[in-house]
Amino acid sequence: MKERKAIVLTSLGGFVIPFSRPLLAIVLALTVSAGLILARGANPIVAYAAMLQGAFGSVAALANTGVRASPLLLAGLGIALGFKAGLLNVGAEGQIYAGGIAATVVGISPLPVPPWLHLLLTVIAGFIGGALWGLIPAYLRAYRGVSEIVVTLMLNYVGIQLASFLVQEYSPLGEQGVFYPQSRLILPSARLPILIKGTSLHGGIVLGLALGVFLHFVLRYTNFGFRTRMVGENPEAARYAGVNVTRQIFIVLLVTCGLGGLAGTGEVIGLKLRLFDRFSQGLGYDAIAVALMANGDPLGTIITAIFFGALRAGAGKMQVVVGIETPIASVIQALAVLFVIAIGFAERVRVTRREQEQDQELEQETAVHGNQ
Amino acid sequence: MEISSIFNDWLLASVRMAAPLMLLGVGGVFTERTGVFNIGMEGMMLVGAMAAIAGDLVSESVWVGTLCGMIAGGLLSVVHAYLTVTRRANQIVSGASINLLAIGLTNVLYGPLYEGFKYRPRVPLYPKLAPAAWHDVPILGPIIFAQPVIVWIAFVLPLIATWVLYRTSWGLNIRAVGDHPHAVATAGVSVIRLKYTGVIISGLCAGLGGSALVLAELGLFGPNLTAGRGFIALAALAVGSWNPSWVAVACLFFGAADALQLRAQTWSQTYGINIPYQFLVMLPYLLTIAALAGIVGRTNAPKTIGKPYDPETI
Repeated sequence: MKERKAIVLTSLGGFVIPFSRPLLAIVLALTVSAGLILARGANPIVAYAAMLQGAFGSVAALANTGVRASPLLLAGLGIALGFKAGLLNVGAEGQIYAGGIAATVVGISPLPVPPWLHLLLTVIAGFIGGALWGLIPAYLRAYRGVSEIVVTLMLNYVGIQLASFLVQEYSPLGEQGVFYPQSRLILPSARLPILIKGTSLHGGIVLGLALGVFLHFVLRYTNFGFRTRMVGENPEAARYAGVNVTRQIFIVLLVTCGLGGLAGTGEVIGLKLRLFDRFSQGLGYDAIAVALMANGDPLGTIITAIFFGALRAGAGKMQVVVGIETPIASVIQALAVLFVIAIGFAERVRVTRREQEQDQELEQETAVHGNQ
Repeated sequence: MEISSIFNDWLLASVRMAAPLMLLGVGGVFTERTGVFNIGMEGMMLVGAMAAIAGDLVSESVWVGTLCGMIAGGLLSVVHAYLTVTRRANQIVSGASINLLAIGLTNVLYGPLYEGFKYRPRVPLYPKLAPAAWHDVPILGPIIFAQPVIVWIAFVLPLIATWVLYRTSWGLNIRAVGDHPHAVATAGVSVIRLKYTGVIISGLCAGLGGSALVLAELGLFGPNLTAGRGFIALAALAVGSWNPSWVAVACLFFGAADALQLRAQTWSQTYGINIPYQFLVMLPYLLTIAALAGIVGRTNAPKTIGKPYDPETI
């Protein structure tokens, strides 16, 4: 029986399916968006060519893609990890601010330590800031059974406002005598290194790629990863197997939120070099789409984050060439995700129907054999 | 400004800002009562607001504009209903994508909306029906008489919705389907149809709320105009314990806080008083968390909210 199911799965294309669904969705999204571009009186082929060039056409373009992919990747990995444990963290936006705030506190303080340590401490502070932000939803979800979805969502606005308060002149972090509220400058020793001279590509993307691969191995090959997936797939079974489900949920949510904090950290100490009012502009919401389009798979999240980053980087070039506004990138992203979730279910039904047929056949066979 | 006129101005603004929230709150109750999260109401409100302005701009009738807003919100909610009920997709992912779509679409279509105009023209607004002499009546004046007719609708709709939910058999079905969908199905009522109805009502209400946002006083559209108001309405659901009337009360409170924080910002500019208005903005969200955690009263969230309905598994 087991042998048969394995054959069915490989013949269905265990490798092809995870990549074909998002790809088909992207093609559909680009097709529908082409209609919108046409309606605005531009040539979609010219527009998409410009987009491709703006995303991958030169070193500067590639760097731009990397800069934009970096926060989406870091926050997306957090959401992906949560998703594997059956948790939906929609609070990355708030965690980005919390992490950004914590990183700013350490990043603007002149510490008597070597530069590499200052940077490391700042990054750790950002992670802890995000994780602390996750304490409330994690406690409520794990120990009180309150849905993490609403709580993390509500905390987004608290985070935005807290950052907005902290960058004002009268706050201890605020810069004095500037027109636009902002924090003091992050000290050079706490900044992420620039990877390519003359661009703003910072170390955040390396951190994201490394964490993506790391998470992939953690989920696949460690006890922690196994427990996480078990809790996500069937918490009752996990409890029966002796997993401390409550503690696992608590820890996973904290790590999830910590990764959201890292996304904010990267933006502050890699790109903006100050904490600004509303610096994230919805990155945390886009990261949900990034993670879920990859179905919570860390390696897949790397691909979708780069895709989303490329869309945003390319949209700038597209605006210059054909005059379509950059938010068209949001339209394409949104449509891609909507198509993925629309197609996704159809695939799943087909697999289960096959399995059901197989099971019925098997039952009949065993019945026949039993009679003999 | 005198104290009394400052107070009147604040009351006026509080109710006006609460009205769109109250309309969204009614819709939110219906969708969440049927067990479907709709965080996409924020986006439906945004698209509804833009469609309302577009319809009003073309027809010069505020009611045609309202209809356009509701249709736009309704259409987006059909997408959400199809994905989450028929396709059983993740409700949050669908809603978040609809929000993203709405932001993108309104930004891209914003240019063509005002194409050919030197500056953004103001469109006809909702009429104020009470005689002008009544506008200055203390308390009731700014709260009711000086308000445009959409605010009156926003006051009446939650009451009607409460009556429908708690006094009709269809309302009983709506309340039951979020808690025990299989029991509803056993009683011979279509769960799928109820869920579709709930989600589409939320879309229509979000479109209406969008119209209320732009056609009550503003008369024009700008990108990202809703600025998270749809989420405040969602917050009000938990605080009002999924009862349309209590949700409306929560929305009134949140509207008052919002109006106060806007005034606090101007005060800090004109008088140099630094009031950290950010904490006032946080209030609705913190209250929601407190409500969910059971710190302020007990909430009874619909039991199967967020979970797709599968007729074959119990």
